[in-house]
Amino acid sequence: MAGSGAILARKRRTLILLLAPLTLMLSVFFLIPLSIMVIYSFLEPGLYGGVEWNWYPYNYGRILGWPLNDFETFEVIYLKIFLNSAQIAVMTVIVTFLLSYPAAFWVSRMTGARKNLALFLITLPFFANMLVRIYAWLLLLRPTGFFNTILQSTGLIAEPLNLLFTNFSVIIGMVYILTPFMFLPIYASVEKLDYSLVRASQDLGANPIQTFRRVILPLTAPGIIGGSVIVFIPALGNFIVPAFLGGSKVQMTGNLIERSFLQSRDWPFGAALALLIMAFVVILVMFQISRQNRAAERGIA
Amino acid sequence: MLDKILSSRFWSWLFKGYGIVFLIFLYLPLGLIFVYSFNANSINMAVWTDFTFDWYLTIFGGANSQSEFDAAFTESPERIFEVVRNSAVVALCASTISTVIGTATAIALQRYNFAGKKFYQALLILPMIVPDIVLGIALLIFFVGAGFELSLLTIIIGHTTFLASYVFIVVSARLAGMDTTLEQASADLGAGPLTTFRRVTLPQIMPGVVGGFLLAFIISLDDVVITYFIAGVGSQTLPIFILAMMRRGLRPQINALAVLLLAFSFVVAAIGLYLRSRKT
Repeated sequence: MAGSGAILARKRRTLILLLAPLTLMLSVFFLIPLSIMVIYSFLEPGLYGGVEWNWYPYNYGRILGWPLNDFETFEVIYLKIFLNSAQIAVMTVIVTFLLSYPAAFWVSRMTGARKNLALFLITLPFFANMLVRIYAWLLLLRPTGFFNTILQSTGLIAEPLNLLFTNFSVIIGMVYILTPFMFLPIYASVEKLDYSLVRASQDLGANPIQTFRRVILPLTAPGIIGGSVIVFIPALGNFIVPAFLGGSKVQMTGNLIERSFLQSRDWPFGAALALLIMAFVVILVMFQISRQNRAAERGIA
Repeated sequence: MLDKILSSRFWSWLFKGYGIVFLIFLYLPLGLIFVYSFNANSINMAVWTDFTFDWYLTIFGGANSQSEFDAAFTESPERIFEVVRNSAVVALCASTISTVIGTATAIALQRYNFAGKKFYQALLILPMIVPDIVLGIALLIFFVGAGFELSLLTIIIGHTTFLASYVFIVVSARLAGMDTTLEQASADLGAGPLTTFRRVTLPQIMPGVVGGFLLAFIISLDDVVITYFIAGVGSQTLPIFILAMMRRGLRPQINALAVLLLAFSFVVAAIGLYLRSRKT
């Protein structure tokens, strides 16, 4: 019996040894930095960057309108920019969904090597550098770019169209970067779709639209919702896409955060903006997890 | 009925047509960079004049026939070599460290039962869902506050914090699909845990470990946002270097650099995807 105790003790030691590196790394270089960021958002900005260690909730007042003191004023532009970011992120989710959903059915109906090839081709651009993919759209959309050159040479337009530096160009860039994130979860649930249920619905007299709405759509909903969450989150905080495809015309919260850190050096304000994004993300993820748990419970029952 | 409609000639034709449009959407922009990178026209890339290797040659310091105007936008080969080396060092170190940490964690969570398991699962998801920009500024505040000088080391640390989670997921999937009876047999035959790991477990999860390493390597190599905040003046990586070039204006040299980066990423990704699709 003493032997089994020794084995247990050894197992414990191994477990601690296996978990120690991750625990150490994530506490020191992840949890602590995030906590410091939260604290910073409640501190007074220093005159030349950095912070003064005074309780200062007024960073939030500038964004939300409350609380305010004599020095900070509420400017509605920050909320407007945040709403515009959320709007761009929602549009990105919708467009990536519309693109990926039929594509998922297209691939799921293939077999063997063709299917693997199609999946490979769709996944591969995901590994292309984000900057390179944004750069590609700059080449396509700018006044002397691919689209304008073609349209002008065919005589369809006399002057180059203004395709860059609009919400439209930012959304295109986001969609191009994030489509794989939408495609893969949707494909996973389309692939699992039980066609006997589709047939049953038709045998019971449903028309194709009813079958789609009442059977196919609900069965693939987990993939759609999962994909939407993981597309929305990076779209909301992105600042590289608006920096290049939005120019100075389209501002997103990410650009504000970047500037308050690297240009105006108002770190507490940047941290407050970042926390606003984090709050959104946390709510979304909690919603997604509770939905998954409920689905799992239903599955067991 | 829907089944029949969907498999009718019309619909399968429509799906196929859409699939091709979808692939064109994915590849046309990248293909365009590829074509432009061989276009001699340095004023307007969208108008084809002549085939040239010049833009590639300038990267490697070869002779080229460019104007003064272009020279202002052209980076020296030494500078490019330096940022490529920085990127390689960061990607190699960060992915190696995160492969060790991620694999160890995957084994702990797959093979042991303990009280804090749920907590660790949640903790591992966190770095992947926190937006890049938030992690980037949190690390910047932390490094500056703790007195770290921003350097390659801070980039390696920053990358490792979120890459370990990706390795964990890939290796966990491999461990979950693995037959544990061999591990038990090895233990029954008197092998210690270390021997069992080295001789039985590791060879079996190797494709997962290599796949996780390659995934981490590519994500690290391509990372823009987090590196942007925690790279010091002397520690630019290739993506940050390209970002700076793009800010100064679009020149053909960027095309060539982008194509080389694309080609490298795609080769590594193809190896990784191949390893992952291969079952045992």
